[in-house]
Amino acid sequence: MAIDAQGSRSPMDEAPLAPTGRMAAIWTGWAIGFALLVGGSLLLLAAAPYGAPRWLLPAFLAVVVLVIIAHYLLVVGDHAGTVEPWWSNRDVSRAFAELGSGDLLRGAALARALPESVRATFGGTSAALAALAQRIQDGSIQLAGSAEGVETVSSELASGASQQAASVVQITAAMEELSRTAAQIAQSAVEQADLASRAEGSGLAGASAVEGAVHGLAEVQQQILGMSARADALGTRSKEIFRVLDLITEIAQETHILSLNAAIEAAAAGDRGRRFSVVAEEVRRLAQQTRESVDSVRGLLDEFAGAIRSAVVATEEGSKEVARVLERARAGAHAIGELRDSAAETARVARQISGVTQQQTAASEEVLTTLRDLNQVVQRMSRDLQELSDNAKRLRRVGIATQLLAQTFHLDSPRSLKHVAEQWLERLRALPPAELDVALGELVRTTPFVQCGFFADGEGRGQAIWIRDDPGTAPRREDARRVDVRERSWFRSVRRDRRAVVSEPHTSLAGGEACFTVAVPRLGAGGALEGVVALDVSVSGWTRI
Amino acid sequence: MEPRLPRGSAIAPRLARGSAIAPRRARGSAIAPRPAGGSAVSRFLLVRAGDALCALPLEQVRRVVRALIVHALPGSSAELLGLAEFAGEPLPVLELARLVGGAGGSLGGSSVTVVARLGRAEPAEIVGLQADEALEIVELPTPTSSAGGTRGLLAGESLSGGRRVSVLDLAAWAASA
Repeated sequence: MAIDAQGSRSPMDEAPLAPTGRMAAIWTGWAIGFALLVGGSLLLLAAAPYGAPRWLLPAFLAVVVLVIIAHYLLVVGDHAGTVEPWWSNRDVSRAFAELGSGDLLRGAALARALPESVRATFGGTSAALAALAQRIQDGSIQLAGSAEGVETVSSELASGASQQAASVVQITAAMEELSRTAAQIAQSAVEQADLASRAEGSGLAGASAVEGAVHGLAEVQQQILGMSARADALGTRSKEIFRVLDLITEIAQETHILSLNAAIEAAAAGDRGRRFSVVAEEVRRLAQQTRESVDSVRGLLDEFAGAIRSAVVATEEGSKEVARVLERARAGAHAIGELRDSAAETARVARQISGVTQQQTAASEEVLTTLRDLNQVVQRMSRDLQELSDNAKRLRRVGIATQLLAQTFHLDSPRSLKHVAEQWLERLRALPPAELDVALGELVRTTPFVQCGFFADGEGRGQAIWIRDDPGTAPRREDARRVDVRERSWFRSVRRDRRAVVSEPHTSLAGGEACFTVAVPRLGAGGALEGVVALDVSVSGWTRI
Repeated sequence: MEPRLPRGSAIAPRLARGSAIAPRRARGSAIAPRPAGGSAVSRFLLVRAGDALCALPLEQVRRVVRALIVHALPGSSAELLGLAEFAGEPLPVLELARLVGGAGGSLGGSSVTVVARLGRAEPAEIVGLQADEALEIVELPTPTSSAGGTRGLLAGESLSGGRRVSVLDLAAWAASA
């Protein structure tokens, strides 16, 4: 098969059939017959100066008979019906050579000169090859379409997997942060629970202390009340003492008066009362001392009573203050009790929170583990999808290669690029050079899968070029003078082999995009290359063929 | 104004008869004061009546008793507090503080009634003098004239223990009434 990239070989350069024993015999027969004919002719020429002898005619007849016999032996004998005359073998060779090069149309044209049986066999073979090529084309298109679809889907999936992997990474980071936060919260909750427990303990201790203080205050209050009672008792006793003192005072007063009266009586008694007056005076002094003592005691007792009253007042004030303090202490004890209860409740809630946060931490760790596993799965899936995409690309390339393989066949089909190029060539051949450019543009416009249509002379210089920049758009004319395809491999193949070629994917004349080129030669008299018609099909759009 | 015995009293005080208590001037008694430098010294009962200290001649004092229950007489003068019972007999009681010109109404719980004789005649009329307190027996110079120059209840003034003392003379007062 002629493949330009690998350098085409002329189908004429290779023997369509390998020589066999039978063919050696046939050729030997032809050689003997030819030798006889030449020999006979020489004999006649040798005998001509001597006039035509009578034996010449029988000799020539004998030669003819020998040729006939040789022909029978060589043609009619074992090869009867199978070996045609030597000029049919050449046509068969040429026809099969064209078939072998993939040009089924030219091969069919050459097969028309063949015997019916050969032509039928050739037609069947050509039809089978055409059908095979069509199926290969269809299969390659389906393969490419499926590969493209798989590549698209796998690319999307890979992209999605990458995004998902990125999302998983973000979620993992967020979950790790959440896990750290949960751990901190758990730790804080544990500390809070500990603080609450200590507060509860302190509350208990405080409540106990306050209770003790309240109890102590109550005892103090009782003691104060006892002191007050004792003070009252002292006051009562002091009042009794005052009464006694008053009695003593009365007695002293009476004694004093009695002493005065005694003095009076003593004075009235004259001398006889002198001694009595002394006694009276002593009595008066005694009474005076008694009064003074009573006054002193009264003073002391007044002080004592005042102190007692002050003590009683202070005791009462103290009792009131103790009562107020006791009331406040009881209120404080109640508040501390409520605080203790609150602290206990807080401790209980803190322990619950601690337990829950620890559970949350454990759950976060499990989620993290799951996310890490998921990340690995997603990354693995991404790699697998990327590999699938690569395989799809390889399948596309296989599809393209298969399509190119199928396109090497020149079929009578609008999907055969060689046939399309041959039709372009036929249309352009009949046009004058002035109309060639427009016609080429029309051809490009009416052939949607063609990206670039090109016509060059036999030297590879551009004559006309039309480029379709985007699929579905109208082509535009390009300055063909800037185009030189002499170094293009497909041009060299066409110029060398004088037959249509399908190139391997390469950079399009349109610039940049990968495509493959189908080129057909325009041959003149004697097989001279007058021009080349080429069309570029985009690698990405060849499935529209 | 010179205090005088209240008039209009329907009940005349009677002195106890045959009382051994009738005061007599003691002669040659050790009790009798011997004035220093030749001035006569007498013994007096020192009493406190309101803000004033009064010295009653001892021979004119019959008895010192706790304050007697006095029954007021309607329409009597301010000095006459009323009548009290003493030794079974009614005794007119005068407020000594008013008699010596002081403010009355200061009779507290420790008041005393000095039963005194009015005059030297026997039986002597007695009267009760309501005072705040009977202090002591003191010896004072015998007053010869009153501060006002007229003899009445107030016989004179003296000093006792650095305190001004109004020396009373009930006999002169009774005689001048």
